[in-house]
Amino acid sequence: MSDALRPITSWYESTARQRIAGLLDRGSFTEYIGPEQREMSPHLDLFDLPKQFDDGIVIGEGQLEGQRVYAAAQEGRFMGGAFGEVHGAKLIGLIRAARKHKRDVLISFDTGGVRLQEANAGEVSIAEIIRAILLARADGVRVIGLLGGRAGCYGGGGLIANCCSSLVISEQGRLSVSGPEVIETNHGVEEFDSKDRAFVWRTMGGKHRYLIGAVDAFVEDDIAAFRAAARTALAKQARFDLALVQAEQQRLATRLQRLGSLTDSLQIWKALGVEAPESISSLPTEAFLAASQTVRECADEAR
Amino acid sequence: MGSWTTQNDARQRRLAAGGQFAQGKAVAVDKLTSFLEAVIHPGDRVCLEGDNQKQAQVLAQGLVGVDPQKVHDLHMVQSGIVLPEHLDLYERGIARKLDYSYSGPQSRRITTMLADGKIELGAVHTYLELFARYFIDLTPNIALIAAVCADKHGNLYTGPNTEDTPTIVEATAFKGGLVIAQVEKIVDSVPRVDIPGDRVHFVVETGKPFYVEPLFTRDPALITETQILCAMLAIKGIYAPYQVQRINHGIGFSTAAIELLLPTYGEALGLKGKICTHWALNPHPTLIPAIEAGWVQQIHSFGSEVGMENYMAARPDVYFTGADGSLRSNRAFCQTAGLYACDIFIGSTLQIDLQGNSSTVTATRTAGFGGAPNMGSDPHGRRHPSTPWLKAGEEANPDMAPALRRGRKLVVQIGETFGDKNTSLFVENLDAILLADKLKLELAPVMIYADDVTHIVTEEGIANLLLCRSSAEREQAIRGVAGYTELGRGRDAALVDQLRQRRVIQRPEDLGIDLLDADRRWLAARSVKDLMVASGGLYNPPSKFRNW
Repeated sequence: MSDALRPITSWYESTARQRIAGLLDRGSFTEYIGPEQREMSPHLDLFDLPKQFDDGIVIGEGQLEGQRVYAAAQEGRFMGGAFGEVHGAKLIGLIRAARKHKRDVLISFDTGGVRLQEANAGEVSIAEIIRAILLARADGVRVIGLLGGRAGCYGGGGLIANCCSSLVISEQGRLSVSGPEVIETNHGVEEFDSKDRAFVWRTMGGKHRYLIGAVDAFVEDDIAAFRAAARTALAKQARFDLALVQAEQQRLATRLQRLGSLTDSLQIWKALGVEAPESISSLPTEAFLAASQTVRECADEAR
Repeated sequence: MGSWTTQNDARQRRLAAGGQFAQGKAVAVDKLTSFLEAVIHPGDRVCLEGDNQKQAQVLAQGLVGVDPQKVHDLHMVQSGIVLPEHLDLYERGIARKLDYSYSGPQSRRITTMLADGKIELGAVHTYLELFARYFIDLTPNIALIAAVCADKHGNLYTGPNTEDTPTIVEATAFKGGLVIAQVEKIVDSVPRVDIPGDRVHFVVETGKPFYVEPLFTRDPALITETQILCAMLAIKGIYAPYQVQRINHGIGFSTAAIELLLPTYGEALGLKGKICTHWALNPHPTLIPAIEAGWVQQIHSFGSEVGMENYMAARPDVYFTGADGSLRSNRAFCQTAGLYACDIFIGSTLQIDLQGNSSTVTATRTAGFGGAPNMGSDPHGRRHPSTPWLKAGEEANPDMAPALRRGRKLVVQIGETFGDKNTSLFVENLDAILLADKLKLELAPVMIYADDVTHIVTEEGIANLLLCRSSAEREQAIRGVAGYTELGRGRDAALVDQLRQRRVIQRPEDLGIDLLDADRRWLAARSVKDLMVASGGLYNPPSKFRNW
């Protein structure tokens, strides 16, 4: 390799493996069911589609500042990071192990949702992952979601993320259920212009999600920043009980009442009390955090 | 012998007829269609300004609205068929004949309409060719053009997107024709005069800007490692040895990768100041990091690019700017510059055959040519020497006496062996031939002819066609960089090996390029936001390119 190449520090630019490597203590990661085991999708051959030796997800254990954790990272560059049978099973197993061993889990989401070619298996795995997360959390395990990948976090991935104890997002990160193209296809371009990228990000992107309290931390698009935020999230009290869920339900009901009639994020930001909503999208991280700190909604951990 | 002033007399009649709808030169937009019915006559030759970028969309809508009983059989002579209205004219029986250059967004529909006989085609031209014919045998009777604003005398300000306007107006106004401009606003005084008012007969104030698309913005986030490898090959294997300073780039991702590699990879190779200093180029945002790093001395542009206005206004040492500070572009001049004053053209294509002919048409799409064939051709009228031109000439004709030896322009095709949707870049027969057959054209729409191409770059290496001494060698040189495509696998391994010994084919390793080095970390900007940051916030990317 040439010396002129500086290492990439962007989370968005990195692969799943680069994210894991930068997130955890150097050299501490041990992969489970790695690519050498060639545990590949049993379905893609039917469609004459290329497979990947790790089915688009890396799972294993490692340490963060010496604390033992489990970690998973989806690879958005393989089939949009979509959940297939093997992909899903690897994540289910990891979270079940986390519950058994009372160890916290970090998940780097980078997914368009369920893989259409193995939709039934994918949908079942979404449900199983949600079940596994909620059981683990009820037993005191923290599940931290990291959102800053190229594919965003959509479909079933969005549902899973919203069951996590804590979410960290960057400006590039997107979190939603239906993706822009899906909404446009079903409801027309007047409802949602998927090609207007500034609109997409203003509606589903990191800054908006942070302002309305859908996520807990907003960080620079930088691996070290994600690592620091993950560490902070791991230090929080792990709580998951009925009172928490009810409080979050109440918050969401109030939010719907207060903001439900607004049609654009700019109006929502204004209603939240942001002084100059139109400037939000262009603010660098520090300035954005300063502008949003006093006005943003905060999620209860029930999410 | 009759009158010598029939054309000017006709213009006087058009002026009188149009004057009934005008106050001074100003025509209200709600009277536009009646006005056009009054000044345009059946059979007129009309240039409805459709350029590569800006569009006189309000005039186009007005023209589509005219009564085909009154206005029909028009002969449209315009460089760009871009808006749906440009083709609606034929559906509605208003226009009959067409001579044009480029039809990107309408390429599918125009193909269907040509096949159905709804359009009588003159020819598909390159830009310079069409402009040239404006002055010989395709002179417009009516020019419908677009500008930013006008004053009451008709002086026009076109802003950074001047593009084709001066050429169209020159041909029309000085040969008895009528010039009608759409402007967003009529103002007391224009920021600068791009078109003098005595060449403009009527002005329509529309209250909205002319339509313009950002066509030259390539998002660095979408550049692949294969494209980066191709870019490294081009820089190290062509730009460096030929010392290419005067240059034109196409608009593909491979050339965007080259632009983004100059301040990193080019710098590491010690090439700053030695290559890529003078450009004929649209304002590519991906060139910002190289400009900021001091690589670029000057750039002349065919047109502008949405979002680049403030950046260019702040860099007048690099760009051509007017007294108002904004860019002045000019397609005809820049095409001429690209043809005669550049030593290299490098661009992507969709199909290359075994002799090196290339084309961007497929059986269902007639995209036209635009300007690439001008840039990508060896100008036989060139007489001034330069290092790359002489070196290429020597490679092509080593035995010729140097004083009589014509130089050669470097014409480089760059692309991945498998392109979009895994289709092969290399084909036995161009789809252009099928299309010509289907549309009964006398010429297949070939973008760059084989005898103009000097190099082909793929991730497999560089084929230097200047060094080929027979058509058989040429074929093997092309097969030799065609990788795992069917034509690549059909190569004669022994011959390809010989060609490699003679450096007709150079693999990445022959140039000391490590495949593992082809990495996105070389990109001086990896996102549109990086470009904005590199410009110091002067570049203002359009909404569709933002992911923030």
